[in-house]
Amino acid sequence: MNRSVAMRLVGCLLFCVSALVHAEPEYHLQPRQIAEDTYVLEGSTENFDKRNGGNIVNTGFIVTDSGVVVIDTGPSRRYGEALRKAIAAVTDKPVIQVLLTHHHPDHVLGNQAFADVPIGALAGTTELMRTQGDALTENLYRMVGDWMRGTEMRLPTQVLAPGTLAIGGHRMRLLALSGHTGADLAIFDETTGVLFAGDIVFYQRALTTPNSPGLQVWLNDLDTLQALPWKRLVPGHGPVATDARPFEQMRDYLGWLDGLLRDGAAQGADMAELIRTPVPERFAAISLTRYELIRSVSHLYPTYERAQMVRVDTR
Amino acid sequence: MNRVRGRAVGFALLLCLQGVAHADPGKDPVTSVMWGYYQQKFLKDQPYVFDDKVRLRAPPFAEDARQVPVEIDARAYAGEVVRILAWAELNPLPQIVDFQPVERVLPWLSIRIRIEQATPLRAAVLTRDGVWHIGSTTIDAAGGGCTAPSVVRAQPGWEEHIGEVMAGRYPRSGFSRLRVTISHPMDNGMVSGIPEFYLNQAQLKDTHGKLLATLELFPAVSENPTLGFDIEGDGETQLSLRDISGNLFSGAVK
Repeated sequence: MNRSVAMRLVGCLLFCVSALVHAEPEYHLQPRQIAEDTYVLEGSTENFDKRNGGNIVNTGFIVTDSGVVVIDTGPSRRYGEALRKAIAAVTDKPVIQVLLTHHHPDHVLGNQAFADVPIGALAGTTELMRTQGDALTENLYRMVGDWMRGTEMRLPTQVLAPGTLAIGGHRMRLLALSGHTGADLAIFDETTGVLFAGDIVFYQRALTTPNSPGLQVWLNDLDTLQALPWKRLVPGHGPVATDARPFEQMRDYLGWLDGLLRDGAAQGADMAELIRTPVPERFAAISLTRYELIRSVSHLYPTYERAQMVRVDTR
Repeated sequence: MNRVRGRAVGFALLLCLQGVAHADPGKDPVTSVMWGYYQQKFLKDQPYVFDDKVRLRAPPFAEDARQVPVEIDARAYAGEVVRILAWAELNPLPQIVDFQPVERVLPWLSIRIRIEQATPLRAAVLTRDGVWHIGSTTIDAAGGGCTAPSVVRAQPGWEEHIGEVMAGRYPRSGFSRLRVTISHPMDNGMVSGIPEFYLNQAQLKDTHGKLLATLELFPAVSENPTLGFDIEGDGETQLSLRDISGNLFSGAVK
């Protein structure tokens, strides 16, 4: 074998290897129509992972007469770009408005792909993105890896107030809630009866509590949403529903969590003990309950335990 | 001749000593690059065993690297325990606590700590026979718990609250759980411009002033330290604390 053949072989090998290394991950987003003009891109109920690219979230869009309203932009720049392509495959109308439900990274890190569109959020959401955005973004890089390449936190460009937003023949009621993060937007499209609940509703996926002001606040928000005349419910995570089961599951789970923390504090349990508590069988269909219990105990238990202590210093 | 015999005796002695010092400690249950270093540093040449009867429990991952709950349970050796040392191997400030239950206090402790990165955790429990029993676990973390800015210092008027003690006593069968949380920033010297300032000594006594347990705390302990003890018998428990600036704090738990 002469040298030039060998060199060519090596070159070919190198090319193959580099092609493998540079294979770009793709989200393959499939918009599903759930009502007139209304589409949902349903993510999995898994945790953030290098295999799923953080596509564990539901985003959606409404094709109005004046253009497309997008609800949440997903976990990465790449997701945002894929979302935009998916929208373009459904309609040739332009995207004219983005609405963010809350500041968590899986819902807002696709903002870069919508830099030419007004990005609206509650004032509290923008503030949380300002203070926590970089840390949340970094953490997603750690958990999701290369899918995140080029992703940066882009702040909203528009402040949303609760009330009615009329766009292109759709009347959308904006509700300012707070149970999940302190600033949670829900969008009820009165024209179609579709309720985008954001992360006030998780379904078949354990709810997350890192910024919750308290479980009672969250329960009250559920009452507010359930009382609306909705026909279809889009949770922030988990399957779209046409019945009240997501609300029932949320109440059941929040009630269990609240009772667990309250009883634990009354008995002087330590955090490390509480996170080992068996999860009731009736929640078996909900994914990630153990993982989220560990997180929720860390977030919420200090408040519960202090309520069971008294000042004893004698200084 | 003498020299040869001397050497032989010396060699035999060495073998014996090695026999004692190197009683098989068993297999290290966690993957560690630092065990040998800390064994030399804290346990010197004293005999030790990796022992799953010493249960060291922490979450599999740190949701908040500044407040990681750790539970040390050596009740399998109740009545035998002289001293418990705990450390986080890959912390810049690894030592957590030196806990010496003296009387009526069970060899059990809950405490919250800061970790800087994913790390093995160790609890070394010294029993009366002179053997260290090593409990081990590992914890994953996004990191940064030791160098994160203080939450306490961000609150206006925090100085006013230093040394406030909140506590509760919770009856269990055969003992009562005592939980305390002390307002203190526990500055570890790793946050820019803020020197070390942390609680380093604590004692538990009964109403007659009799010593029940002593603790030495290290700056791996979280700000506003939260501690839990299991105590046998009745009566008020006195808690006294001291920080490295010499401030004294105390509380009495009924």
